[in-house]
Amino acid sequence: MSELATRTAVTATPVKAPAKSLRWLKLAAWLAVLVVLLALPLYLQAEWLKAGQWMMTGAVGAIGLTMLVGQAGQLSLAHAFFLLAGGTTYTVLASGTEDGRVVGFGLDPLLSLLIAVAFTALLGLAFAPVSGRLRGIYLGVASLSLVFLGLYFGQSADRLTGGTSTGRTPAPFALFGFTFDSSGSLQILGVPIRQAEKMWYLYLALTVIAFVLARGAVNSRVGRSWRAVRDHEASAAAMGVNVARAKAGAFAVSSAYAGLAGAMTVLWFDILKPDENEFGTYGINVSIAYLAMVIIGGLGSIGGALVGALIVFGLPQVLSLYSTQLGIFTGSGEGAFTPVLVSTFVYGAAIILVVLFEPGGLAAIGRRITGSLHRDRKKEGTLDETAAFPGPRGDADHRRVRHQGG
Amino acid sequence: MKQRLSLALAAMLIIAACGTKAGESGSSGSDASGVKTDFGVTASDITLGVMTDMTGPFKNLSIGITHGNQLWVNDFNAAGGVCGRKVGLQVVDHAYKADQAKTLYPQLEPKVLGFVQVVGSPIMAALKQNIQSDKVTTTPASWSSELLDNPYVMIVGTTYDVEMIDGMSYLQDQGMIKDGDTVGHIYIEGEYGANGLRGSRYYAQQHHLNLREVKITSSDNDLTNIVTGLRGEGVKAIMLTTTPAQTGSVAAANKALGLNVPLLGNNPTYDPVLLNSPAANALDRLYVVASSVPYSADIPKAKEVSSKYKAAAFPEPPNAGVDYGYAVAEVWGTVLKKACDNKDLTRDGILRALQQTTSADTGNLVAALDFSKAGAPPTRQVYVAQADATVEGGIKYVKPLFEAPEAKGYVAPHQK
Repeated sequence: MSELATRTAVTATPVKAPAKSLRWLKLAAWLAVLVVLLALPLYLQAEWLKAGQWMMTGAVGAIGLTMLVGQAGQLSLAHAFFLLAGGTTYTVLASGTEDGRVVGFGLDPLLSLLIAVAFTALLGLAFAPVSGRLRGIYLGVASLSLVFLGLYFGQSADRLTGGTSTGRTPAPFALFGFTFDSSGSLQILGVPIRQAEKMWYLYLALTVIAFVLARGAVNSRVGRSWRAVRDHEASAAAMGVNVARAKAGAFAVSSAYAGLAGAMTVLWFDILKPDENEFGTYGINVSIAYLAMVIIGGLGSIGGALVGALIVFGLPQVLSLYSTQLGIFTGSGEGAFTPVLVSTFVYGAAIILVVLFEPGGLAAIGRRITGSLHRDRKKEGTLDETAAFPGPRGDADHRRVRHQGG
Repeated sequence: MKQRLSLALAAMLIIAACGTKAGESGSSGSDASGVKTDFGVTASDITLGVMTDMTGPFKNLSIGITHGNQLWVNDFNAAGGVCGRKVGLQVVDHAYKADQAKTLYPQLEPKVLGFVQVVGSPIMAALKQNIQSDKVTTTPASWSSELLDNPYVMIVGTTYDVEMIDGMSYLQDQGMIKDGDTVGHIYIEGEYGANGLRGSRYYAQQHHLNLREVKITSSDNDLTNIVTGLRGEGVKAIMLTTTPAQTGSVAAANKALGLNVPLLGNNPTYDPVLLNSPAANALDRLYVVASSVPYSADIPKAKEVSSKYKAAAFPEPPNAGVDYGYAVAEVWGTVLKKACDNKDLTRDGILRALQQTTSADTGNLVAALDFSKAGAPPTRQVYVAQADATVEGGIKYVKPLFEAPEAKGYVAPHQK
């Protein structure tokens, strides 16, 4: 506990000049990534953009889950339920009533999106009596019940979801009258900006907002209280952290992220269609896929969640696009190697390797690389001893605390 | 370091300025003979798309359909093609996953004139908006009448609801059920089951039948307790809109419990694989209704397709998908020829040609089809067939093509 206190103190001290230059370098690297992401629609064909949007949808959901599982230490398998809740809320609010089968309010899409996020946060909060009392695998199993509740809800509330038979079409997203479809004759560098390109920028904006907010939460008081509760509830309470509140808050925030990812899922598919059985778009398999992203990326690491989403949601997409282009994995029938199968193997293997050899996940590997960069600079004598931690700030420190303190 | 970064940024800007994907969009216009074209048509070729399931849960049927499509393409090109062009297929495998289909679609769509095959109702649901906005005529390998609200959807054969109505009238004609009886219907939650149920509800209402509806999910595989329950209700027949495995379970329970009532299944409920299962001996009470013929059908066209299938030496054993796939493509051939006569091989031209198709003949592989009425199934005729291990393809006719009077009066959900 004292370690945690000192660690917090260290991160709070004003950072010395050389570390500041490193921080600037990191910021520059993130900016470079952002510039590349902004430029991609000018080069990539629509199908690659579509795949990219799917990865960003996964990234938003995974950021939410990594805060809950990694930072606050609460295992949840309910993510798919909140995806369905968010997608349904958005669709019901934003879609009109022209189809008499279903209920619709025809609200502004942006407003609908915000309400959907707020509503899923409230749903997560409503689960607090359960999430506050249970921990570990017990909480995981309890939260799994929500997925089955979602399955039942999707099938029976067909006035809201459109039913498993036909589903319903969500209103296309629009921002202050600017619609995200193929209309208009906007061009950038001679590239017509149509639906695929517009949606890319929308998803990128949502992902960046989700990312920045999550970084903020993790590096603030809120994040510290989550980690304190994760590491030791009693000592957290002794330090003045309201444990019940911290736990409920983490669940609410994570649910809100899942709600946003759910609305993104619905917009990506152009349809809200509840599952016919437990293995669908909002089924157990999806909950597990999100957990896999979080584990591969490194529990609690926001950047790691992005990379995890890239692997778990991106790999099947990229492989199947390449396989049709290059004619690989074109077997058929029994025992054929398919993109889906290959990517399942890859991410299954990634989980095992991560758990066995690098429990910190890809994020820890990333930190080691930046850490070695640090050491090089130390040799040059530009960095003083006190700032020479392998992970300069953020979640790495807290993980080390956890490893030592159990 | 600042220098390095600014260099990198400058380099990125330079790359951005040249070599974007600008100006790569498709061309449209008309060729020397005045035939208008846009997507998927060149001076020498017409490309049709196939989005199928070669490795997922419906691979047997899908591979059969794809082979059927290909056999037709070979025949059609050997006969000279259409408008001086040969037809080719572009095949992709989505493994019955909607998210994969959603990304494969934009890759394939700009290269094809239309889709001769899109497997699966979840995939059709996810692509519905795209098909409409891209105006690309599509044949789904899914027979729900709910799909017919989209003018670009061309269903070859009748729909699940009409199959049920025709089938129940067959049972009544044969004296197996009568007005006022109690009958059961076991159906899978989802588009397939809901559409089948729509038909049995309609028929039950017409004949004052007491319909017991039992909803299951596609992952339930032991239905013994459901059949026990239906026995308690005193049902005289059981309708099935289920998977083949579930059909086998119901048939076995029907026999084992001594209920022995007739079973009536939609066309996907039967798979010849059932003949190798423990339920094989219980299938004698199962009647299957379908509008495309079984593989071993005793009609000249089916025999022709069968001999071509053998000659092509495909590794997979044949199933009813082969004839269906051939028939679907044959309908496409009719539409292409009509579009060619109209001198319009654009996507709009294909839709117009489809709506002008009031009689598409497939040599009786499928009942005669009429696509001119929006929202209505193109045919209401079905065959009734029974399982038979002694014939190739495992199924034989008990009643040739017919249309029940009840089916004639039935209004499909999107019928105008």
